[in-house]
Amino acid sequence: MQDRAENLTRYVKAMTPTVFGLIGVLLLASPLRLVEGLVPIPLIPLVVVYFWSIYSPSYLPSVSVFAIGLFQDLLSGGPIGLWPCIYLFVQYLVLSQRSYFHGREQRVVWLGFTVAAVFSSFILWAVMSMLAGFPLPAWQLVIQMTSTIAVYPLVANGFAELHRRVIVEV
Amino acid sequence: MVGLGQERREGIGRKPDSRVTLLLLFLVSFFFLLSSLYAAEASVFRKARESALEVASPVLSVFAGPAAFIQDRIGSVRDYFAVLEQNKALREENAALREWAREARSLRTIVATYEDLGAYRAPPPIAPINAFVVGETNDAFAHSMILNAGRKDSVARGQAVVDAEGLIGRIVDVSNSASRVLLLTDVQSRVPVYVEGAEIEGILAGRTSSRPTISFVLSADVSALEAGQTVFTSGAGGTLPRGLPIGEIVRPSAERAEVKLAANFAKTRLVRVINYEFTGLSEDVLEEGADSTDGIEEVGGADENAASAVAPNASVEGVTPVTPASTEASTTSDGAE
Repeated sequence: MQDRAENLTRYVKAMTPTVFGLIGVLLLASPLRLVEGLVPIPLIPLVVVYFWSIYSPSYLPSVSVFAIGLFQDLLSGGPIGLWPCIYLFVQYLVLSQRSYFHGREQRVVWLGFTVAAVFSSFILWAVMSMLAGFPLPAWQLVIQMTSTIAVYPLVANGFAELHRRVIVEV
Repeated sequence: MVGLGQERREGIGRKPDSRVTLLLLFLVSFFFLLSSLYAAEASVFRKARESALEVASPVLSVFAGPAAFIQDRIGSVRDYFAVLEQNKALREENAALREWAREARSLRTIVATYEDLGAYRAPPPIAPINAFVVGETNDAFAHSMILNAGRKDSVARGQAVVDAEGLIGRIVDVSNSASRVLLLTDVQSRVPVYVEGAEIEGILAGRTSSRPTISFVLSADVSALEAGQTVFTSGAGGTLPRGLPIGEIVRPSAERAEVKLAANFAKTRLVRVINYEFTGLSEDVLEEGADSTDGIEEVGGADENAASAVAPNASVEGVTPVTPASTEASTTSDGAE
Protein backbone atom coordinates (compact mmCIF):
# COMPACT_ATOMS: atom_id res chain seq x y z
CA MET A 1 0.00 0.00 0.00
CA GLN A 2 2.76 2.35 0.99
CA ASP A 3 4.67 1.33 -2.09
CA ARG A 4 1.77 2.25 -4.26
CA ALA A 5 1.39 5.66 -2.61
CA GLU A 6 5.09 6.28 -3.07
CA ASN A 7 4.89 5.29 -6.69
CA LEU A 8 1.94 7.61 -7.20
CA THR A 9 3.78 10.52 -5.59
CA ARG A 10 6.81 9.86 -7.74
CA TYR A 11 4.62 9.70 -10.81
CA VAL A 12 2.89 13.01 -9.99
CA LYS A 13 6.25 14.67 -9.40
CA ALA A 14 7.58 13.36 -12.69
CA MET A 15 4.54 14.77 -14.45
CA THR A 16 4.75 18.24 -12.87
CA PRO A 17 6.89 19.97 -15.55
CA THR A 18 4.70 18.57 -18.33
CA VAL A 19 1.58 19.75 -16.51
CA PHE A 20 3.10 23.22 -16.12
CA GLY A 21 3.78 23.28 -19.85
CA LEU A 22 0.17 22.34 -20.60
CA ILE A 23 -1.14 24.96 -18.16
CA GLY A 24 1.07 27.49 -19.94
CA VAL A 25 -0.62 26.54 -23.21
CA LEU A 26 -4.07 26.94 -21.63
CA LEU A 27 -3.02 30.34 -20.32
CA LEU A 28 -2.07 31.30 -23.89
CA ALA A 29 -5.56 30.33 -25.02
CA SER A 30 -7.50 32.11 -22.29
CA PRO A 31 -9.03 35.55 -22.88
CA LEU A 32 -7.07 37.39 -20.17
CA ARG A 33 -6.68 40.52 -22.35
CA LEU A 34 -4.20 42.27 -20.10
CA VAL A 35 -4.66 46.04 -20.51
CA GLU A 36 -7.27 45.52 -23.26
CA GLY A 37 -5.08 43.09 -25.15
CA LEU A 38 -2.12 45.45 -25.42
CA VAL A 39 0.16 43.29 -23.27
CA PRO A 40 0.55 39.84 -24.83
CA ILE A 41 0.61 36.76 -22.60
CA PRO A 42 4.17 35.45 -22.16
CA LEU A 43 5.07 32.08 -23.67
CA ILE A 44 5.28 30.12 -20.43
CA PRO A 45 5.72 26.75 -22.25
CA LEU A 46 8.97 28.07 -23.77
CA VAL A 47 10.25 28.85 -20.27
CA VAL A 48 9.20 25.38 -19.08
CA VAL A 49 11.00 23.67 -21.96
CA TYR A 50 14.16 25.75 -21.56
CA PHE A 51 14.32 25.53 -17.77
CA TRP A 52 13.79 21.80 -17.36
CA SER A 53 15.96 20.96 -20.37
CA ILE A 54 18.88 22.66 -18.63
CA TYR A 55 18.42 21.49 -15.08
CA SER A 56 16.61 18.18 -15.32
CA PRO A 57 15.80 16.92 -18.80
CA SER A 58 14.73 13.56 -17.40
CA TYR A 59 11.68 15.33 -15.94
CA LEU A 60 10.77 16.75 -19.31
CA PRO A 61 11.43 14.06 -21.93
CA SER A 62 11.12 14.91 -25.62
CA VAL A 63 7.74 13.18 -25.71
CA SER A 64 6.42 15.71 -23.18
CA VAL A 65 7.89 18.60 -25.17
CA PHE A 66 6.26 17.20 -28.29
CA ALA A 67 2.92 16.86 -26.48
CA ILE A 68 3.05 20.43 -25.14
CA GLY A 69 3.82 21.79 -28.62
CA LEU A 70 1.15 19.70 -30.27
CA PHE A 71 -1.46 20.80 -27.72
CA GLN A 72 -0.54 24.43 -28.44
CA ASP A 73 -0.93 23.87 -32.19
CA LEU A 74 -4.27 22.16 -31.77
CA LEU A 75 -5.62 24.86 -29.47
CA SER A 76 -4.34 27.86 -31.44
CA GLY A 77 -5.57 26.54 -34.78
CA GLY A 78 -2.22 27.20 -36.45
CA PRO A 79 -0.39 24.73 -38.69
CA ILE A 80 0.13 21.38 -36.93
CA GLY A 81 3.75 20.62 -36.10
CA LEU A 82 4.97 24.21 -35.78
CA TRP A 83 5.26 24.50 -32.00
CA PRO A 84 6.60 20.95 -31.48
CA CYS A 85 9.33 21.85 -34.00
CA ILE A 86 10.18 25.06 -32.14
CA TYR A 87 10.15 23.52 -28.66
CA LEU A 88 12.12 20.43 -29.71
CA PHE A 89 14.63 22.68 -31.46
CA VAL A 90 15.03 24.70 -28.26
CA GLN A 91 15.43 21.48 -26.27
CA TYR A 92 18.10 20.24 -28.67
CA LEU A 93 19.90 23.57 -28.51
CA VAL A 94 19.83 23.55 -24.71
CA LEU A 95 20.84 19.91 -24.32
CA SER A 96 23.86 20.45 -26.51
CA GLN A 97 24.96 23.42 -24.34
CA ARG A 98 23.87 21.96 -21.01
CA SER A 99 27.28 21.49 -19.47
CA TYR A 100 28.08 25.13 -20.22
CA PHE A 101 25.03 26.42 -18.36
CA HIS A 102 25.49 24.29 -15.25
CA GLY A 103 26.75 26.26 -12.29
CA ARG A 104 26.64 29.53 -14.22
CA GLU A 105 25.09 32.70 -12.89
CA GLN A 106 21.42 33.25 -13.55
CA ARG A 107 22.23 36.20 -15.77
CA VAL A 108 24.09 33.93 -18.18
CA VAL A 109 21.20 31.45 -18.22
CA TRP A 110 18.84 34.35 -18.87
CA LEU A 111 20.99 35.46 -21.79
CA GLY A 112 20.85 31.89 -23.09
CA PHE A 113 17.06 32.04 -22.88
CA THR A 114 17.10 35.28 -24.87
CA VAL A 115 19.10 33.56 -27.62
CA ALA A 116 16.68 30.61 -27.61
CA ALA A 117 13.70 33.00 -27.79
CA VAL A 118 15.25 34.82 -30.75
CA PHE A 119 15.83 31.54 -32.60
CA SER A 120 12.25 30.42 -31.87
CA SER A 121 10.86 33.76 -33.05
CA PHE A 122 12.73 33.47 -36.29
CA ILE A 123 11.40 29.96 -37.01
CA LEU A 124 7.86 31.05 -36.10
CA TRP A 125 8.07 34.14 -38.29
CA ALA A 126 9.59 32.28 -41.25
CA VAL A 127 7.01 29.48 -41.21
CA MET A 128 4.02 31.80 -40.78
CA SER A 129 5.32 34.11 -43.54
CA MET A 130 5.65 31.09 -45.81
CA LEU A 131 2.09 30.14 -44.99
CA ALA A 132 0.83 33.69 -45.63
CA GLY A 133 2.84 34.10 -48.83
CA PHE A 134 4.34 37.45 -47.83
CA PRO A 135 6.68 38.61 -45.04
CA LEU A 136 4.49 39.23 -42.01
CA PRO A 137 4.88 42.25 -39.74
CA ALA A 138 6.95 41.08 -36.79
CA TRP A 139 6.25 43.72 -34.15
CA GLN A 140 3.59 41.68 -32.33
CA LEU A 141 6.01 38.78 -32.10
CA VAL A 142 8.76 41.08 -30.85
CA ILE A 143 6.47 42.39 -28.09
CA GLN A 144 5.41 38.89 -27.06
CA MET A 145 8.98 37.56 -26.97
CA THR A 146 10.16 40.63 -25.06
CA SER A 147 7.46 40.07 -22.45
CA THR A 148 8.46 36.39 -22.23
CA ILE A 149 12.13 37.27 -21.78
CA ALA A 150 11.15 39.89 -19.19
CA VAL A 151 9.19 37.44 -17.03
CA TYR A 152 11.77 34.63 -17.38
CA PRO A 153 13.74 35.37 -14.16
CA LEU A 154 10.52 35.49 -12.13
CA VAL A 155 9.03 32.31 -13.56
CA ALA A 156 12.35 30.44 -13.58
CA ASN A 157 12.94 31.31 -9.90
CA GLY A 158 9.51 29.93 -9.06
CA PHE A 159 10.24 26.77 -11.01
CA ALA A 160 13.66 26.44 -9.33
CA GLU A 161 12.12 26.65 -5.86
CA LEU A 162 9.46 24.14 -6.80
CA HIS A 163 11.98 21.78 -8.37
CA ARG A 164 14.30 21.93 -5.36
CA ARG A 165 11.70 21.71 -2.61
CA VAL A 166 9.00 19.52 -4.05
CA ILE A 167 10.09 17.55 -7.08
CA VAL A 168 13.61 16.45 -6.17
CA GLU A 169 13.51 17.13 -2.41
CA VAL A 170 17.17 17.62 -1.56
CA MET B 1 21.30 26.75 -7.86
CA VAL B 2 21.92 24.00 -5.39
CA GLY B 3 19.95 20.89 -6.12
CA LEU B 4 19.33 21.75 -9.72
CA GLY B 5 20.99 19.57 -12.28
CA GLN B 6 21.09 16.67 -9.90
CA GLU B 7 19.39 13.60 -11.19
CA ARG B 8 18.79 10.12 -10.02
CA ARG B 9 18.58 7.67 -12.82
CA GLU B 10 16.02 5.14 -11.76
CA GLY B 11 12.25 5.01 -11.49
CA ILE B 12 9.47 6.67 -13.40
CA GLY B 13 10.42 9.95 -15.02
CA ARG B 14 14.05 9.45 -14.15
CA LYS B 15 15.34 7.79 -17.26
CA PRO B 16 18.05 9.73 -19.03
CA ASP B 17 16.51 11.30 -22.11
CA SER B 18 17.65 9.94 -25.39
CA ARG B 19 18.79 12.28 -28.13
CA VAL B 20 17.50 9.80 -30.71
CA THR B 21 13.91 10.19 -29.47
CA LEU B 22 14.28 13.96 -29.69
CA LEU B 23 15.48 13.86 -33.29
CA LEU B 24 12.81 11.34 -34.23
CA LEU B 25 10.05 13.49 -32.73
CA PHE B 26 11.53 16.56 -34.42
CA LEU B 27 11.33 14.79 -37.76
CA VAL B 28 7.73 13.76 -37.05
CA SER B 29 6.82 17.39 -36.20
CA PHE B 30 8.61 18.60 -39.31
CA PHE B 31 6.66 16.13 -41.41
CA PHE B 32 3.40 17.33 -39.82
CA LEU B 33 4.38 20.92 -40.51
CA LEU B 34 5.21 20.23 -44.15
CA SER B 35 1.98 18.36 -44.65
CA SER B 36 -0.08 21.17 -43.10
CA LEU B 37 1.75 23.78 -45.18
CA TYR B 38 1.75 22.08 -48.55
CA ALA B 39 -1.08 19.55 -48.54
CA ALA B 40 -4.79 19.66 -47.91
CA GLU B 41 -5.51 19.35 -44.22
CA ALA B 42 -5.89 15.73 -43.22
CA SER B 43 -9.17 14.87 -41.56
CA VAL B 44 -7.24 13.33 -38.69
CA PHE B 45 -5.75 16.78 -37.90
CA ARG B 46 -9.22 18.29 -37.89
CA LYS B 47 -10.50 15.56 -35.58
CA ALA B 48 -7.55 16.17 -33.27
CA ARG B 49 -8.29 19.93 -33.25
CA GLU B 50 -11.91 19.30 -32.40
CA SER B 51 -10.98 16.92 -29.58
CA ALA B 52 -8.53 19.47 -28.16
CA LEU B 53 -11.29 22.12 -28.28
CA GLU B 54 -13.70 19.79 -26.53
CA VAL B 55 -11.20 18.95 -23.78
CA ALA B 56 -9.94 22.50 -23.25
CA SER B 57 -13.17 24.49 -23.41
CA PRO B 58 -14.47 23.57 -19.90
CA VAL B 59 -11.09 24.54 -18.40
CA LEU B 60 -10.99 27.74 -20.45
CA SER B 61 -14.52 28.62 -19.28
CA VAL B 62 -13.25 28.45 -15.69
CA PHE B 63 -10.39 30.84 -16.56
CA ALA B 64 -12.69 33.14 -18.55
CA GLY B 65 -15.08 33.82 -15.64
CA PRO B 66 -12.71 35.66 -13.27
CA ALA B 67 -10.93 37.36 -16.20
CA ALA B 68 -14.24 38.81 -17.39
CA PHE B 69 -15.13 39.89 -13.84
CA ILE B 70 -11.87 41.84 -13.45
CA GLN B 71 -12.21 43.40 -16.91
CA ASP B 72 -15.75 44.50 -16.02
CA ARG B 73 -14.56 46.19 -12.83
CA ILE B 74 -11.77 48.00 -14.68
CA GLY B 75 -14.24 48.92 -17.41
CA SER B 76 -16.72 50.45 -14.98
CA VAL B 77 -14.02 52.55 -13.32
CA ARG B 78 -13.06 53.85 -16.76
CA ASP B 79 -16.73 54.56 -17.55
CA TYR B 80 -17.04 56.92 -14.55
CA PHE B 81 -14.45 59.19 -16.10
CA ALA B 82 -16.08 59.17 -19.53
CA VAL B 83 -19.70 59.41 -18.41
CA LEU B 84 -20.37 62.96 -19.66
CA GLU B 85 -18.85 62.30 -23.04
CA GLN B 86 -20.72 59.02 -23.42
CA ASN B 87 -23.97 60.69 -22.40
CA LYS B 88 -23.59 63.32 -25.12
CA ALA B 89 -22.72 60.71 -27.76
CA LEU B 90 -25.69 58.55 -26.75
CA ARG B 91 -28.09 61.48 -26.93
CA GLU B 92 -26.91 62.29 -30.45
CA GLU B 93 -27.18 58.65 -31.47
CA ASN B 94 -30.66 58.48 -29.97
CA ALA B 95 -31.82 61.42 -32.06
CA ALA B 96 -30.44 59.81 -35.22
CA LEU B 97 -32.10 56.51 -34.35
CA ARG B 98 -35.47 58.19 -33.80
CA GLU B 99 -35.16 59.57 -37.29
CA TRP B 100 -34.46 56.07 -38.57
CA ALA B 101 -37.41 54.63 -36.65
CA ARG B 102 -39.71 57.09 -38.39
CA GLU B 103 -38.32 56.09 -41.77
CA ALA B 104 -38.55 52.39 -40.92
CA ARG B 105 -42.21 52.74 -40.00
CA SER B 106 -43.08 54.27 -43.36
CA LEU B 107 -40.97 51.62 -45.13
CA ARG B 108 -42.82 48.87 -43.30
CA THR B 109 -46.07 49.80 -44.98
CA ILE B 110 -44.39 49.78 -48.38
CA VAL B 111 -42.83 46.37 -47.71
CA ALA B 112 -46.19 45.03 -46.55
CA THR B 113 -47.69 46.14 -49.87
CA TYR B 114 -44.98 44.28 -51.78
CA GLU B 115 -45.39 41.21 -49.62
CA ASP B 116 -49.05 41.10 -50.56
CA LEU B 117 -48.03 40.65 -54.20
CA GLY B 118 -47.89 37.00 -55.15
CA ALA B 119 -44.36 37.13 -56.56
CA TYR B 120 -42.70 37.69 -53.21
CA ARG B 121 -41.26 34.86 -51.16
CA ALA B 122 -39.77 35.65 -47.77
CA PRO B 123 -36.13 34.63 -47.22
CA PRO B 124 -35.63 31.79 -44.74
CA PRO B 125 -35.69 33.10 -41.17
CA ILE B 126 -32.34 33.31 -39.40
CA ALA B 127 -31.97 31.90 -35.91
CA PRO B 128 -28.75 33.31 -34.46
CA ILE B 129 -26.95 31.24 -31.84
CA ASN B 130 -25.69 33.20 -28.85
CA ALA B 131 -22.30 32.22 -27.42
CA PHE B 132 -19.63 33.49 -25.06
CA VAL B 133 -15.96 33.85 -25.98
CA VAL B 134 -14.16 31.48 -23.59
CA GLY B 135 -10.77 31.45 -25.27
CA GLU B 136 -8.65 33.25 -27.82
CA THR B 137 -5.31 32.74 -29.44
CA ASN B 138 -2.80 35.01 -27.80
CA ASP B 139 -0.33 34.36 -30.56
CA ALA B 140 1.59 36.87 -32.66
CA PHE B 141 0.29 35.44 -35.93
CA ALA B 142 -2.69 33.14 -35.41
CA HIS B 143 -5.89 35.04 -34.61
CA SER B 144 -8.88 33.03 -33.46
CA MET B 145 -11.41 32.82 -30.65
CA ILE B 146 -13.01 29.85 -28.92
CA LEU B 147 -16.77 29.94 -28.30
CA ASN B 148 -18.77 27.87 -25.84
CA ALA B 149 -21.30 26.75 -28.45
CA GLY B 150 -20.80 23.72 -30.66
CA ARG B 151 -22.46 21.07 -32.74
CA LYS B 152 -25.13 20.44 -30.13
CA ASP B 153 -26.20 24.10 -30.48
CA SER B 154 -26.26 23.55 -34.28
CA VAL B 155 -23.11 25.56 -34.96
CA ALA B 156 -21.47 24.44 -38.22
CA ARG B 157 -18.29 25.19 -40.15
CA GLY B 158 -18.40 28.31 -42.33
CA GLN B 159 -21.04 30.19 -40.34
CA ALA B 160 -20.52 33.91 -39.78
CA VAL B 161 -19.91 35.24 -36.27
CA VAL B 162 -20.88 38.79 -35.33
CA ASP B 163 -20.68 40.84 -32.16
CA ALA B 164 -22.69 43.98 -31.36
CA GLU B 165 -20.57 46.05 -33.77
CA GLY B 166 -20.15 43.81 -36.79
CA LEU B 167 -18.66 40.70 -38.32
CA ILE B 168 -15.69 39.24 -36.41
CA GLY B 169 -15.01 36.10 -38.43
CA ARG B 170 -16.29 32.67 -39.31
CA ILE B 171 -16.42 29.24 -37.75
CA VAL B 172 -13.57 26.93 -38.80
CA ASP B 173 -13.61 24.10 -36.23
CA VAL B 174 -16.61 22.70 -34.39
CA SER B 175 -16.62 20.17 -31.58
CA ASN B 176 -19.66 18.99 -29.70
CA SER B 177 -19.83 21.87 -27.23
CA ALA B 178 -17.24 24.39 -28.47
CA SER B 179 -16.14 26.00 -31.71
CA ARG B 180 -13.34 28.14 -33.10
CA VAL B 181 -13.79 31.42 -34.98
CA LEU B 182 -11.12 32.42 -37.45
CA LEU B 183 -10.94 36.20 -36.99
CA LEU B 184 -10.90 38.61 -39.93
CA THR B 185 -7.33 39.61 -39.03
CA ASP B 186 -5.87 36.09 -39.40
CA VAL B 187 -3.69 35.56 -42.49
CA GLN B 188 -5.86 32.64 -43.52
CA SER B 189 -9.09 34.66 -43.44
CA ARG B 190 -10.71 35.54 -46.81
CA VAL B 191 -14.16 37.09 -46.90
CA PRO B 192 -15.98 38.38 -50.02
CA VAL B 193 -17.12 41.96 -49.39
CA TYR B 194 -18.61 44.99 -51.11
CA VAL B 195 -18.13 48.67 -50.46
CA GLU B 196 -21.31 50.67 -50.08
CA GLY B 197 -21.24 53.93 -51.97
CA ALA B 198 -18.50 52.82 -54.35
CA GLU B 199 -20.51 49.69 -55.29
CA ILE B 200 -17.48 47.52 -55.86
CA GLU B 201 -16.66 44.02 -54.73
CA GLY B 202 -13.47 42.53 -53.42
CA ILE B 203 -11.92 40.02 -51.09
CA LEU B 204 -11.10 41.03 -47.53
CA ALA B 205 -7.87 39.30 -46.49
CA GLY B 206 -6.30 39.26 -43.03
CA ARG B 207 -2.69 40.40 -42.64
CA THR B 208 -2.20 39.77 -38.86
CA SER B 209 -2.30 43.52 -38.20
CA SER B 210 -5.49 44.99 -36.76
CA ARG B 211 -6.57 46.24 -40.20
CA PRO B 212 -7.24 43.67 -42.93
CA THR B 213 -7.12 44.80 -46.56
CA ILE B 214 -9.49 44.43 -49.49
CA SER B 215 -8.09 43.28 -52.82
CA PHE B 216 -10.36 44.41 -55.61
CA VAL B 217 -11.58 42.60 -58.65
CA LEU B 218 -9.37 43.57 -61.62
CA SER B 219 -12.26 45.05 -63.55
CA ALA B 220 -13.52 47.04 -60.57
CA ASP B 221 -13.85 50.80 -60.95
CA VAL B 222 -12.10 52.10 -57.84
CA SER B 223 -12.50 55.79 -58.72
CA ALA B 224 -15.53 56.14 -56.43
CA LEU B 225 -13.65 54.65 -53.50
CA GLU B 226 -13.27 57.01 -50.55
CA ALA B 227 -12.15 56.78 -46.96
CA GLY B 228 -15.09 56.37 -44.59
CA GLN B 229 -17.26 54.22 -46.87
CA THR B 230 -18.84 51.23 -45.17
CA VAL B 231 -17.82 47.66 -45.98
CA PHE B 232 -20.34 44.79 -45.87
CA THR B 233 -20.19 41.09 -46.64
CA SER B 234 -21.19 40.54 -50.25
CA GLY B 235 -22.56 37.05 -49.83
CA ALA B 236 -20.55 35.94 -52.87
CA GLY B 237 -19.94 32.23 -52.87
CA GLY B 238 -23.00 31.70 -50.74
CA THR B 239 -21.14 30.91 -47.53
CA LEU B 240 -22.03 34.11 -45.66
CA PRO B 241 -25.24 36.14 -45.77
CA ARG B 242 -25.09 39.42 -47.66
CA GLY B 243 -25.02 42.71 -45.80
CA LEU B 244 -23.28 42.00 -42.49
CA PRO B 245 -21.40 45.18 -41.50
CA ILE B 246 -17.60 44.80 -41.30
CA GLY B 247 -16.03 48.23 -40.97
CA GLU B 248 -15.02 51.30 -42.91
CA ILE B 249 -12.47 52.07 -45.59
CA VAL B 250 -9.27 53.83 -44.63
CA ARG B 251 -6.43 54.71 -46.99
CA PRO B 252 -7.83 53.45 -50.29
CA SER B 253 -5.54 52.87 -53.29
CA ALA B 254 -5.97 51.45 -56.79
CA GLU B 255 -5.34 47.81 -55.88
CA ARG B 256 -6.36 47.58 -52.27
CA ALA B 257 -7.81 49.41 -49.30
CA GLU B 258 -7.33 48.99 -45.59
CA VAL B 259 -10.42 48.39 -43.49
CA LYS B 260 -10.89 49.66 -39.95
CA LEU B 261 -12.99 46.94 -38.36
CA ALA B 262 -16.18 47.91 -36.57
CA ALA B 263 -15.66 45.16 -33.98
CA ASN B 264 -13.11 45.63 -31.23
CA PHE B 265 -11.70 42.16 -30.56
CA ALA B 266 -10.31 43.21 -27.18
CA LYS B 267 -13.87 43.79 -25.97
CA THR B 268 -15.73 41.01 -27.76
CA ARG B 269 -17.29 38.68 -25.24
CA LEU B 270 -20.86 37.86 -26.27
CA VAL B 271 -21.22 36.90 -29.93
CA ARG B 272 -23.88 35.58 -32.29
CA VAL B 273 -23.30 32.79 -34.74
CA ILE B 274 -25.42 33.40 -37.83
CA ASN B 275 -27.07 30.14 -38.71
CA TYR B 276 -27.26 30.80 -42.43
CA GLU B 277 -27.81 28.36 -45.20
CA PHE B 278 -27.48 29.30 -48.83
CA THR B 279 -30.69 27.96 -50.21
CA GLY B 280 -30.01 28.63 -53.87
CA LEU B 281 -33.11 28.57 -55.99
CA SER B 282 -35.79 26.04 -55.32
CA GLU B 283 -37.27 24.05 -58.21
CA ASP B 284 -40.57 25.93 -58.36
CA VAL B 285 -38.80 29.30 -58.39
CA LEU B 286 -36.65 28.17 -61.32
CA GLU B 287 -39.73 27.07 -63.19
CA GLU B 288 -41.47 30.33 -62.42
CA GLY B 289 -38.38 32.23 -63.51
CA ALA B 290 -38.53 30.45 -66.85
CA ASP B 291 -42.13 31.60 -67.29
CA SER B 292 -41.68 35.22 -66.35
CA THR B 293 -38.53 37.26 -66.20
CA ASP B 294 -39.76 39.62 -63.50
CA GLY B 295 -40.06 36.97 -60.81
CA ILE B 296 -36.64 37.71 -59.43
CA GLU B 297 -35.99 36.56 -55.91
CA GLU B 298 -33.54 38.10 -53.52
CA VAL B 299 -31.28 35.11 -53.05
CA GLY B 300 -29.64 35.03 -49.66
CA GLY B 301 -31.42 38.27 -48.85
CA ALA B 302 -31.42 37.51 -45.19
CA ASP B 303 -30.77 41.07 -44.25
CA GLU B 304 -32.45 44.37 -45.08
CA ASN B 305 -29.16 45.68 -46.44
CA ALA B 306 -29.18 42.91 -48.98
CA ALA B 307 -31.36 44.86 -51.34
CA SER B 308 -29.35 48.06 -51.05
CA ALA B 309 -26.62 47.18 -53.51
CA VAL B 310 -26.58 45.05 -56.61
CA ALA B 311 -23.57 42.83 -57.20
CA PRO B 312 -21.77 43.57 -60.45
CA ASN B 313 -21.26 40.54 -62.61
CA ALA B 314 -17.62 40.08 -61.80
CA SER B 315 -15.73 36.93 -61.04
CA VAL B 316 -12.31 36.63 -59.44
CA GLU B 317 -10.37 33.87 -57.71
CA GLY B 318 -13.27 31.49 -57.94
CA VAL B 319 -15.69 33.85 -56.23
CA THR B 320 -18.96 34.31 -58.03
CA PRO B 321 -21.33 37.05 -56.90
CA VAL B 322 -24.69 35.75 -55.81
CA THR B 323 -27.10 36.59 -58.55
CA PRO B 324 -30.24 34.68 -59.36
CA ALA B 325 -28.29 32.95 -62.10
CA SER B 326 -25.67 31.43 -59.81
CA THR B 327 -26.24 27.84 -58.87
CA GLU B 328 -25.46 26.02 -55.68
CA ALA B 329 -22.16 24.95 -57.20
CA SER B 330 -20.75 28.33 -56.24
CA THR B 331 -21.18 27.58 -52.56
CA THR B 332 -18.10 25.42 -52.65
CA SER B 333 -15.70 28.33 -52.98
CA ASP B 334 -14.47 28.83 -49.46
CA GLY B 335 -11.64 31.27 -48.88
CA ALA B 336 -10.74 29.93 -45.48
CA GLU B 337 -9.93 26.46 -46.75
